[in-house]
Amino acid sequence: MKVTRFTIVTLLVVVAMMAAALPSLAQETLPRNETLYFNGQQWGAVVGWNPYSSSMNNAMAIAQGASARVTMFESPYLYNMLDGQVYPLLANGPFAWNDARTEITFSLNPAAHWNDGTPVTAEDVAYTWASHVKYNTPTGAGNVAYIEDIGAVDEMTVVVKAKLDENGAALNPLLVESYLSANYVAQKAWTQVMEERVGEDATAFLADIAEDVVFSGPYGPFFADESKVVLVRDDNYWGQDASMWGKLPAPKYLAHNIFADNAAGTTALKAGEVDVSQQFNSNVQDLWLEDGLAISTYLPEAPYQIGASLPTAFFNLTGSSVGLDNVAVRKAIAMAVDYPTIIANAMTNQSATFEQVPRSLMNPTAGEQALYNHEAVADLQWVGNDIEGAKALLDEAGVVDSDGDGWREVDGVNLHYVATCPNGWSDWQAAIEVVAAAGAQIGIDITTNYPEWSVYQTVVTKSDEPLPEGYDIFMMWSNGAGPTEPWGRIRNMLSSEWVGMTSNWSGNWGGYVNPEADALIQAIPTETDPDKVVELYTELVKMYLTDVPSFTLMYRPQSFHTVNESVWTNFPFDGDGTEPPVPPMDCTDGWGIACLYNLELVNP
Amino acid sequence: MKHLLGQIFRSGKFLFGFVIFMIIMLTVLIYPLLVEYPPLKTISRGTFLPPGIYVNVYDSMTFSESYTLILDNAATKRIASKLNAEDRQAMKEWLVIGAELPEDEIDVDDTAKLIDLWTTNFDPTVRLPGMTNADRNYYIRLTASLDGLLATEGATVAVANEDTGVLEEKYVIDQTTYVNVGEVPNVRVLPLGTDNFGRDVLTELIKAISVSLTIGFVAGTVATTIGLILGLVSGYIGGIVDDLIMFITNLFTVIPSIILLILISFSIGQEKRGAFTIAVVIGFTSWVWTARAVRAQVISLRNRDHVNLSKLSGHSIIHILAMDILPYIASYVVMALILQISSGILAEAGLSILGLGPRTTEVPTLGLMLNWALIYQAPLLGKWWAYFPVILIIALIAFSMNLMNTGLDQVFNPALRD
Repeated sequence: MKVTRFTIVTLLVVVAMMAAALPSLAQETLPRNETLYFNGQQWGAVVGWNPYSSSMNNAMAIAQGASARVTMFESPYLYNMLDGQVYPLLANGPFAWNDARTEITFSLNPAAHWNDGTPVTAEDVAYTWASHVKYNTPTGAGNVAYIEDIGAVDEMTVVVKAKLDENGAALNPLLVESYLSANYVAQKAWTQVMEERVGEDATAFLADIAEDVVFSGPYGPFFADESKVVLVRDDNYWGQDASMWGKLPAPKYLAHNIFADNAAGTTALKAGEVDVSQQFNSNVQDLWLEDGLAISTYLPEAPYQIGASLPTAFFNLTGSSVGLDNVAVRKAIAMAVDYPTIIANAMTNQSATFEQVPRSLMNPTAGEQALYNHEAVADLQWVGNDIEGAKALLDEAGVVDSDGDGWREVDGVNLHYVATCPNGWSDWQAAIEVVAAAGAQIGIDITTNYPEWSVYQTVVTKSDEPLPEGYDIFMMWSNGAGPTEPWGRIRNMLSSEWVGMTSNWSGNWGGYVNPEADALIQAIPTETDPDKVVELYTELVKMYLTDVPSFTLMYRPQSFHTVNESVWTNFPFDGDGTEPPVPPMDCTDGWGIACLYNLELVNP
Repeated sequence: MKHLLGQIFRSGKFLFGFVIFMIIMLTVLIYPLLVEYPPLKTISRGTFLPPGIYVNVYDSMTFSESYTLILDNAATKRIASKLNAEDRQAMKEWLVIGAELPEDEIDVDDTAKLIDLWTTNFDPTVRLPGMTNADRNYYIRLTASLDGLLATEGATVAVANEDTGVLEEKYVIDQTTYVNVGEVPNVRVLPLGTDNFGRDVLTELIKAISVSLTIGFVAGTVATTIGLILGLVSGYIGGIVDDLIMFITNLFTVIPSIILLILISFSIGQEKRGAFTIAVVIGFTSWVWTARAVRAQVISLRNRDHVNLSKLSGHSIIHILAMDILPYIASYVVMALILQISSGILAEAGLSILGLGPRTTEVPTLGLMLNWALIYQAPLLGKWWAYFPVILIIALIAFSMNLMNTGLDQVFNPALRD
C-alpha cells in the first residue's frame, strides 16, 4: 500500500488527539477501592471554590445550611438530624450562653489547623463573620438582624453577641445558635489575599473562583470539569487527632460524576458505579427485591428514608380566590384528599403516612414529634379520604349546590379552583392530580395546571399583591431538619411577616394573617422553659389545623440516602449501633460526615 | 370507482396495512362500549402493578362459596414460592459462617430441618465479615417470610367486636380451601397492569390511541390542506405568486420542523396546550413537502390540452384547479395525507416525551404515556407494560400507514405497477 501524504496527516491528527485526551484519561482511572462515588448532588460544571459565595455550583464542597456540608470547609459545630443535638467540629466542647442569654462563648479545638498548617484561630471565625457582613453575602444578609458581632476573646475563644430587643433580651437566640453549625469558618489570611485581589469589591468578592482557597476539612480539590468533580483526601487533616475522629476518613477520593438526569443516575447506581445516591429513585425497593442488588436505604422497609420536610399545598388567601376565605371549604378539600394514594404513587411509598405520623407542623423525627401535645390536637388531625365528613362540613357551613348543577356555590358563584405546581416536578404533579380528584367527590371543581418553573416561581414568590388566576391551590416546600426547627418551619409556614414582600422565598405564600400566631412565633425563641415551649407549639399546631391555611401532602427526606454496597459497606442504617447515631445525610452533611470514618471495603 | 377500489384492495401491501389499521380502529371503537372504566381514574394505590387478574381477598374469604380441593403438590408450591434454591444456599452459607455449623450437616433440600436450624441459629444482630447491610436486610426479610411456612393447620380470620374491640374468631381457612374466581364479586382483570399514577394501562392506552389518531388526523388534514392549496396556487399561477410562496416554503424547509414545533409549543405555554392545539401546531409545521410536491405536479399539468381548453372556455381559476387539475393529483394527495397522519402521531409522541405535549391530565395520548413511564423510570425498573405496548402501538400505526401508502403507490404509479 502506498502511504500517501493524506494518510500521514491523518495519523498525525489522530496521535495529537490521543495525546490531548490522555490527561483526562488519567483522571478516569481513580482506584475504585479508594473512591466513594456520589450522584444526585452536582448538576453541571463546578464554578469555583469560594466558601463565601452561594453561586459556585459546587455541591460536593460548598453547601451551608442546617446540616452544613463539611467535606472541604468546616463549621464550629455539626448538627445531627436524628437526635437534634450539635456536636463540636472546629469547636472544643459545647458552647455556653451567658446568664442573660445575650452572648455565646465557645473555644476552638487546639488541634484544628488549615491545610497550609497554620492553626484555626478565633480571629478566623471573627473575620469570616466580618467579611460576610462587609460584602453582604447571603449568610451575612440572613443573620445580621440577629447577630450583633462575632469577636475573638483570645486566640482560641470566640464570643458571639446577639442583637438585643428593647428589653435587653436576645432577639432570636435560636438563630444565633444555629449560625454555629450552619456556616463555615474561612481563613483570615486567605480572605485578605482574596480581598486584595478583588479590590474589596462586593460583586467581585462573591464571584471570585478562589482556586487558591485554604480549607480546614478532610478533602480538597483534585479535579473538576463538566463531566465530574473529584475531591482528594488531605492526609495531613487535623481531624485525625484523637480529640476529633482519631483517624482519616476511609475513602481517599470523593467523586461525583455529573449525570444528565435521574435516569442516568439510577442506571449508574444499579451498575455499582455510584456508591451513595442522593436522588429520588422511584420504587427503590425493586432494586433489591426484584433485581437482587446490594442496594439499601436507611430504613429497610417503607418509608425507606427519614422524613424531614413537609411538601405542602397552600391555599390562596390573598382574596383572589372566591370561597377560599371560608375555612370550611379549605378544610373540606384537605379532608377529602386521598393522601395514601399520594404517598403510594407519587412518592412510591418513600414517605411516612399520616396514620403513622399524624399531621401537625412537625417533621417525623422523634425530636420534633416530642415538641407538641399529641392528645390535645388529636381531634383536629385528619388522615384524608373523608368524603362524607367533608360534605357534612360544607353542608353545615351553608356551602351547598343550590342550582343543582353538581357544583357547590358561595354567594351564587360555583366553586372552581385550579391546583398547580411547576411543570416537570413529577412527584408534585402526581400529588396535585390526586388533590384535584378529591374536589369532584365533594362538589368542588378542581382542575390542574402546570406552568413552567420560571413563571411559577415569579408568581408565587411575589407576596405584595393578590395571587393571579390559576393559583388557588399551589404546592411549595417547607424547611427540613435543623437546629432552629421546627420553629423556623412554622415561622415560614404561618408568619405574616412574609406577606407584602416583593420577593418572598421564605414561606406563607398563601398570605395567611393571624396576629395570635405571629405572637406565638415571636415568643418561642426566647422561651427557655421546655414545658412552656411544648405548650406554645401545641397552640400553633391547633391554630394551623383549625384554620387550614395550607395542608401537607407528604413527608420528604432531607436527603434521599440510597447506597450500593458493592465496594463500600458500613453505611449508616437504622439500628446500626452508632452512638450518637449517624444520620442518613449522604456521608457529607452535618454529623452525617461521621459515616466516612466508619466505611469499610467489602473486599479489602 | 369500483374498479379502482378493487385494484387497491388487490394490492397485498395495502391490504395488510389496512387490516392492521382497521384492527386498531375497531379496538378503539368497540373496547369503550364493552368496558366502561374511566381511562384516567387512579385505581391502584402503588405504582406499576404487574399485569394479571386481581381477586378481592376480602370477598373471596367472606362472600364466596368455598371449595375443597385435595391437590398433591400444593404444599410444595407454597414452600417453593417463598424459599427457592438460592435462598436455601444463602441460608446454608450464613449457617456455616455465622453459626459455625459443619457444612456437611446442612441439607438444603430438607426444608423442615433447614428451617429448624435457621430459626435456632440465625441472629440478625451478628455482623459477619464482608456482609453488607443489604445482605442483612435480605436475611431479615427471608426470616420473616419463613414464618409459618411449614404449618399444616388453617389460618383463622378474626373480626374485632364493634362494642368491646375484642377479636372474635370468624372463619378458619384451611390450606385446601379454594374459591372459584368467577364467583368472587370483585375481580378486576388488568391485562396491562397499572402505570405510575395507578391507572389501568389498557383502558388508558385505548383512549390514548383514539386521541393520538385524532391528533394525527387533524394534523394531517391541516398540513395537507395548507400544502395542497399553496402547491396548487403556486404551481398553476406561477410568476410572482409562485416566487413568493416558494420563498416562504423554502424558508420553512431549511428550518427543521421539530425545532419550530418545540419553539411554538413552548411559547404557547402548558395551560393552553390542549390536544387539539397541539394537533394544529403540528399541522402548521409540516405542510412544506406536500406544497413542493403538489406544485411540481401542477406545473407538469398546467399546459395540458384539457387545461388549456378549460381556460379557453373561460372557467375560473378555482374551477380549473378543482375540476381539471386536482383529480390528476388526488391519488398523490391521499397518499401524502396518510403519511402526514402517521408523522403527526409520531410528532405528538416526540413532543410529549420532551414534556411539551398536551396537558397531562385532560386526555391521555401515546406520547404522554411514554413520557410518564420514562419519568417514573419504568424501563429501568423493568415495568415493560407501562411503555412497551405504547411503543408497539405507535410502531404498528406508523407501519400500517406506510404499508397502505406503498400499496397505493404501486396501484397509482404506472412505473411501479407489476
